Amino acid sequence: MNAELQLLWLALMLYTLAGSTAIAAAVLAKRPERIILAVIVIGLAAHTVSLGLRWERLGHGPFITLFEILSSNVWSLLAIYALAYWRVPAVRPAAVVVMPVLFLMMAWLLVTSSVAGHFPPTYRTVWLYVHLLFGKVFLGTVLVAVGVAGLILLRQAGLRVASLTQLPDDVRLEYLAFRFIMVGFIFESLMLVAGAIWAQDAWGRYWAWDPLETWAFATWLLLAFFIHLRVTVRLEPWRSAALIWAVFVLAFLTFFGVPFVSTAPHKGAV
Amino acid sequence: MQTFAVIPARGDWLAAAASSRVTLVLLALLAAGIGATYALDADVTFALSAPLGLLALNLAAAIAANPVFRRNTALLVFHLALLALVVLAAAGRLTYLKGQLELAEGEVFNGQLTQSEAGRWHRSQLERAQFANEGFTIRYEKGVNRAETRNGVRWLDDNGALQRAVIGDINPLVLHGYRFYTSSNKGFAPVFVWHPTGGALRRGTINLPSYPVHEYRQALEWQLPGTNTTLWTMLQFDEVLLDPEQVSQFRLPEKHNLVVRIGEARHELAPGESISLPQGMLVYERLSTWMGYTVFYDWTLPWLFAACLLAVASMAWHFWQKCAAQPWDGDA
Repeated sequence: MNAELQLLWLALMLYTLAGSTAIAAAVLAKRPERIILAVIVIGLAAHTVSLGLRWERLGHGPFITLFEILSSNVWSLLAIYALAYWRVPAVRPAAVVVMPVLFLMMAWLLVTSSVAGHFPPTYRTVWLYVHLLFGKVFLGTVLVAVGVAGLILLRQAGLRVASLTQLPDDVRLEYLAFRFIMVGFIFESLMLVAGAIWAQDAWGRYWAWDPLETWAFATWLLLAFFIHLRVTVRLEPWRSAALIWAVFVLAFLTFFGVPFVSTAPHKGAV
Repeated sequence: MQTFAVIPARGDWLAAAASSRVTLVLLALLAAGIGATYALDADVTFALSAPLGLLALNLAAAIAANPVFRRNTALLVFHLALLALVVLAAAGRLTYLKGQLELAEGEVFNGQLTQSEAGRWHRSQLERAQFANEGFTIRYEKGVNRAETRNGVRWLDDNGALQRAVIGDINPLVLHGYRFYTSSNKGFAPVFVWHPTGGALRRGTINLPSYPVHEYRQALEWQLPGTNTTLWTMLQFDEVLLDPEQVSQFRLPEKHNLVVRIGEARHELAPGESISLPQGMLVYERLSTWMGYTVFYDWTLPWLFAACLLAVASMAWHFWQKCAAQPWDGDA
């Protein structure tokens, strides 16, 4: 196994350790938050080197194959969650929801072929990087919202572990999740704009309703609907949380499902 | 929390048109239209235009009737930018042009497209966007994966001065608002000289099917200009031009023949050889290449970009105001 994959394995093991610790701490009502953050950061450092080595070897970033997209998104999602974990203490309990979501992605990554793909000439533009940067921030902030929304849903489902009962009430949690959704909405909008500029240069049209564009717009529309709904009617927190999960599921399918079943030239760059 | 639900009465019709509940219904309708179009693989225009048009009316009514927009500049600018986006998208749809063309090396674009679609109000000025193809290079990676395309073009600017550029992949040629992009379509173009008996000499090319996509179908049927004679022409060569095992470049074969069938007669021509026909003499001069282009015109592009930036910036401003007003761990 080469250094690139060894470092990736190390990172995944550290992420798993951090996530498992967070879940165990939630059950036992302990708060080893600094340790969890430190383990995630060390994992991110190893993962960054792994991605850098692959970038150097192939001459292009991790945007082409499912392996690369999963790996780079596990990295970016954890980086954004770690940042939120550090700066917004209220999202720390959400690790019990966020980390299992990432475990699923990591498991998927481990069974995916790491063989390199062809880097099309239309990907050699700064707009690709802008597009994917916005996309990653969008998904990262929505994941943080999903974590907080997950706590509301766990309580709604009747789970009564000590760490859940000690959390702020559902209304406060919902508002916190909504703030991350608002940030996500801005970045999803920026992602669509940057993607349209790239598409104009790459394929001579800024928007053609190809499967990826359609699904990305559907996600934007659901976000717009949710934000509008929330300011129009007084939503119960669990309904709002369920809608945040719906947004995430749609975004997840757009990022990791559609590009790999579509035959359109627009493939998964995010 | 800011609410849009309560709107002062300025007449029932305006209040109804401005209702944010109507907005929710229209957003759902738009999603349904997009979903249905996607599932049925149908034309998206109607499914989008009806709910988008209604959304624009709803938005305009809301801006007129709802005082929250007068209190909150960021929100007002955001929704005005959204309105502008819908209007610009509609204007673009009515005036756009999308088309395809092919040019042999040295050939000048004369405004004729091989395929096109255009908005109802598009007024073509393609004849002003003349340029010549000066040939191309295309690199292929292992596995015959197309890498960079470099296509030399030349044109005369508005002052009559000769201009040259290399376009390809993400770099189009932009002339009079028309954006010309190289496409993946390109191939071989035999150059013929036709000497009709008693007529003027004519030089021309035929564009064989795209290579390497149609590697084993390098043949074409065409008609001699000014006659009823149909020729079937096929390019023949034995070399491997694009080796899947190594990096390669699009190039002409070093040795080749052109098979020309006229009725029952079959001829094999090398460059410089000719066929005598009752109507004149056909000389096969040499083998060249052709490049396929897509052309796109939409005058709204920079305005759409500006409206998008304004929408996102004002939305960010609005959310910033909301978020900055309270700490991240604060109450709703």
